[in-house]
Amino acid sequence: MATNFDYPISTRVQDLRDKRNRINKDLHLNVERNRILTEYYKTHLHQYPILKRAGYLYEWCATREINIDDDDIFLGDAGPHTRTVHFDIEQTGAMWFRSNFGDTDERFRAAWQVPGSVWVSDEERAYLLEAADFWEENDIGATARGLFPDEFFDGPMGMFAKFLNGSYPGHFNPNYEKVVQVGFGAVREQAKAKLAEIKAHTTTDNVRQDIFYRAMVKMCDAITLMSRRYAEKCRELAATATPERAAELLRMADSCEWIPEHPARNFWEGIQAILFYQNLLTAEGVHWADSPALIDSYLGPLAENDIATGAITRETAQDYADAFLLQIGNQIIMFPKPNNDQLIEAHKNGKTLYDLQGGGQNIAAGSLITLGGQKRDGTGDYNLATELFLLAYYRMRVAEPSLALRVNKHTPARIWELGIAVSKRCGGFPQFNNDDIIIPQQVEKGVALEDARRYGVFGCVEPAIAGMEWSMASNCGAFGGGIGMLQTMQNVIHGNRDPQSGMERPGNAKKLYEYETFDELKAEFVRIASAGLDNMARMNHFAAYTFEAEWPAPSVSVMMEGCMESGKDVTWGGAKYNGTGTMTNGIGVIADSLYTIKKLCFDDKTLSTRELYDALVADWEGYELLRQRILNELTFYGNDNDEVDELAAWVTDFWLGYTNTLAGPNHGHVNMGILDLAWVSGGKRTWATPDGRKNGEPLSPSADPRQDVVKNGPLSYVKSVAKLPWSKARCGGAINIRMDANSVRGDEATAKVQELIQSFFEMGGIQFCFTVADTEVMRAAQKNPQDYQDLIVRIAGFSAYFTHLAFDDQENYIQKYEIAV
Amino acid sequence: MEYENAVGHIYDIQGYAVHDGPGIRTTVYTKGCPLRCLWCHSPESQRHEFELGYLPLKCLGVELCQNACVNACPEGALTINEPVQALKGSGTIQKVSIDREKCTGCLKCVDACIPKSLYSAGWNTTVDEVYNRVIKDRGFFQNGGGITISGGEAMAQFEFTLNLAKRLKDSGIHICLDTTGFAAEDQLAEILPYIDLFLYDLKHMDTVKHKNLTGVGNELILSNARFLAEHGAALQIRVPVIPKLNDGEENLRRAAEFCASLGDAVTLVQLLPYHKSGRMKYERLGWKYKLTNVEPPDDEFMQKALELFQGYGLNAQLH
Repeated sequence: MATNFDYPISTRVQDLRDKRNRINKDLHLNVERNRILTEYYKTHLHQYPILKRAGYLYEWCATREINIDDDDIFLGDAGPHTRTVHFDIEQTGAMWFRSNFGDTDERFRAAWQVPGSVWVSDEERAYLLEAADFWEENDIGATARGLFPDEFFDGPMGMFAKFLNGSYPGHFNPNYEKVVQVGFGAVREQAKAKLAEIKAHTTTDNVRQDIFYRAMVKMCDAITLMSRRYAEKCRELAATATPERAAELLRMADSCEWIPEHPARNFWEGIQAILFYQNLLTAEGVHWADSPALIDSYLGPLAENDIATGAITRETAQDYADAFLLQIGNQIIMFPKPNNDQLIEAHKNGKTLYDLQGGGQNIAAGSLITLGGQKRDGTGDYNLATELFLLAYYRMRVAEPSLALRVNKHTPARIWELGIAVSKRCGGFPQFNNDDIIIPQQVEKGVALEDARRYGVFGCVEPAIAGMEWSMASNCGAFGGGIGMLQTMQNVIHGNRDPQSGMERPGNAKKLYEYETFDELKAEFVRIASAGLDNMARMNHFAAYTFEAEWPAPSVSVMMEGCMESGKDVTWGGAKYNGTGTMTNGIGVIADSLYTIKKLCFDDKTLSTRELYDALVADWEGYELLRQRILNELTFYGNDNDEVDELAAWVTDFWLGYTNTLAGPNHGHVNMGILDLAWVSGGKRTWATPDGRKNGEPLSPSADPRQDVVKNGPLSYVKSVAKLPWSKARCGGAINIRMDANSVRGDEATAKVQELIQSFFEMGGIQFCFTVADTEVMRAAQKNPQDYQDLIVRIAGFSAYFTHLAFDDQENYIQKYEIAV
Repeated sequence: MEYENAVGHIYDIQGYAVHDGPGIRTTVYTKGCPLRCLWCHSPESQRHEFELGYLPLKCLGVELCQNACVNACPEGALTINEPVQALKGSGTIQKVSIDREKCTGCLKCVDACIPKSLYSAGWNTTVDEVYNRVIKDRGFFQNGGGITISGGEAMAQFEFTLNLAKRLKDSGIHICLDTTGFAAEDQLAEILPYIDLFLYDLKHMDTVKHKNLTGVGNELILSNARFLAEHGAALQIRVPVIPKLNDGEENLRRAAEFCASLGDAVTLVQLLPYHKSGRMKYERLGWKYKLTNVEPPDDEFMQKALELFQGYGLNAQLH
């Protein structure tokens, strides 16, 4: 019999969850952080960059507002309000402020000062406008402009340079384990000892290390100070609280005077230490996707001990896990930054800026929690906390942060069962990650086996060694990021002409009708792609150097394995392992397109390359029967058809294999994954393709087949996907199947889902997630969104509330292949 | 081997058939059935002949194909409709109607239809062809999974079904035969050694009612079940629960008693609540769906029915 996971949710946690939904309609922009940063940077123009950042963070910890709500189970938010919306003025760009905050008063108010806005006061508006003037010549973009070669801005990759303005290097698994188990006090002592050593033997070679260790001492002082300010506030509030709350506040105060300086002594302290550190990381700058990996591994023993000694009950432990999940997801980032037109329009339609985030996808900060896996010795790492946190998702039904569950031969049956139960409720949570592929893959990268066993997943699906690897996946830009492979495909067909814009680019590429053989076409694909990927790698080094030069990350380095030992910031190559990640997508469209060309034009010779070329240039206008023939006669990727699957494997193998040989910053690797955020919006930017897809239509998501061509059911679907060379996908891969409720109903069906995943993994699959959502349910949710607030679906690399999705995305999701049995 | 060339009529092969026996299974659906159950959710499985199906949604209008299907039809069974709004764009298109009286099922229009809006429900195949398709899914069969041969009534194409079962057995694949039990006893005896598990339907215990609901009496079905049980077959009994038609307590009790009387041969009883998902298929074939006044049973009722079967010491489950 299936286990019943429906334990009641405590009133207190339910209130917290309700509050969170309420706050989503009444958010505030985090002006405080930007004000403290600006004032510090204005007055310390020439302080060495890492000292400047550490100095600012100390200032932030010392002067930020400390707020504790009456019902808080845990403390701390990175802004003055619960769920403050973060944006970094130093990466925002002055232009955005001028055009939006500098707009007329009437329009500004309609955008930022009505119910549903992300609230900005008149005073804050004036301050930020003035601050933007300072940042114009001092922000990250200015640093990049100061050191990038012109070709980056002028060339087709201009978007890459622009992208850099928008993001700190992020996407990594911070060393939360060390925060919980070691604490900042020990790190401070270590830094002081290093400083004493250097003092005795100072040379110009170790001046930078001296600077680094001084910054580290400052970081330890900063977070300790912040924690003590919370303790002080607790004591202050206890004076007027009910006796029950007062006792709790005093206990919290005791703990905040202990952690995060010292190792956590119990489950509550462990969680609180993680939250404080997350606040600090966010205040340094929006890194994107700083993901708490393997939290069950080091929080589990604390929870088990608390329950064994009777300090807390199992129910309280569950309350803590629930509250933690609600609170860690409070890190919201304003992305993309909306303009006033969009906001005013949204407000008219009863939507909020929160609805617009990530195109309504609520990707929050791209954060992801990894559970389960293996200990350093290779034994399974599952405990009470694995269950508590999985159950927290089952109970809280939140769409952020994401959730990954590592599975291997040690994974207990109950964890499988619970993981699948959560998936049925929260689409795509957890994603299941295959240790048998990912661990050897990390070893291949040069990671020691014991460390490889401690990988975590961040962002969407990307693996990196928790607390040891500066993986920087957001560093890579436009070429690898998303549409590189599709761009190459277009070049192979249209030569140097961009079919969507009509622009001619420099180069001597052929057009589709100029190839004599299919092999010649493949060779051209390789030639164009190699040049593009080489270029991406070159830009990547410059991007990394921008941060090394002016924008280091002391909040990351203070805990990251390797930095304290080497005396280097993560941006200087201090981490034990270095990497940089990027991604490609649209495998289905690429494979189907190559197959169409090969089969019809070169093998069967029933279609000339000229006719296909003309049809594509015309976006199929006047070629509808040809398009129908292609769509209906060919058996595409996702149907276990070796002919097309071999092409999918070929193009992926080349793409991943070539990228794996490229040099990344800090002597690390460039890691390629097959995932995307944008199969709908990316499709809008992609011209017609030979597989019958029209200009602007959605792409195939990540490694999934195209939504409308799967006809042989799920086994054929996953078999096609399993043929891709996953062992080379060091930045992971996303596969997502949508199932109808009937096919997962009953205990037997649950067991079969587990079998399906395990079989797929044995065939070489790297990752798997599924969503259970019936078309009827989604149609009903479109009509009555208020009744379906909890419906979560998996999009590509992340999950989202269905009712928050833009209409286009909803439609495309509904049409995505559903497994009906 | 000769049996590989045996020809069969099938209408689908579906992977991940989660409710068709143990483990992950791929199911082969044969065409043609001696029964006509009122609730049948696969109308295309009933007749032996291939039928013309029509998915109007996929039809792009005869303007585009220049009346391809209409021109292809030697019987004049296809006529052009009044213009309707096109799915995309602002224009109108003209789709077609099928005169089922005139249609002889020659399927020439299917060959002419490029968007495959007109399609054939069912196709000819060989044991070899089916084997080569289903064997591709072998990687999923490790936990007791395998192939289910279903229908229609697979025993109605005895040569094909027997040879397919032999071929699969030779390869060590676990085989389920999903049957109405309405088959000749000697043929069941002949196929028995190749079948690991029979998925065996019990639709009504009263033969008159059985005949009303399915077109045939239940005597042969019940005696075959006993025969199989006595000769070492493993049986997974499937009881469709159709409100108003067979869900009376007495019938359920008699069904449970019957299952219990078969002893250890019965490995599991599945209670399958009626569902309406087959309705659309009737429209595509131009048929009328007869059970317009029946709603799926509620969870509470199904739970009680389950407990009733369990009360007879049977290993029973829903779905």
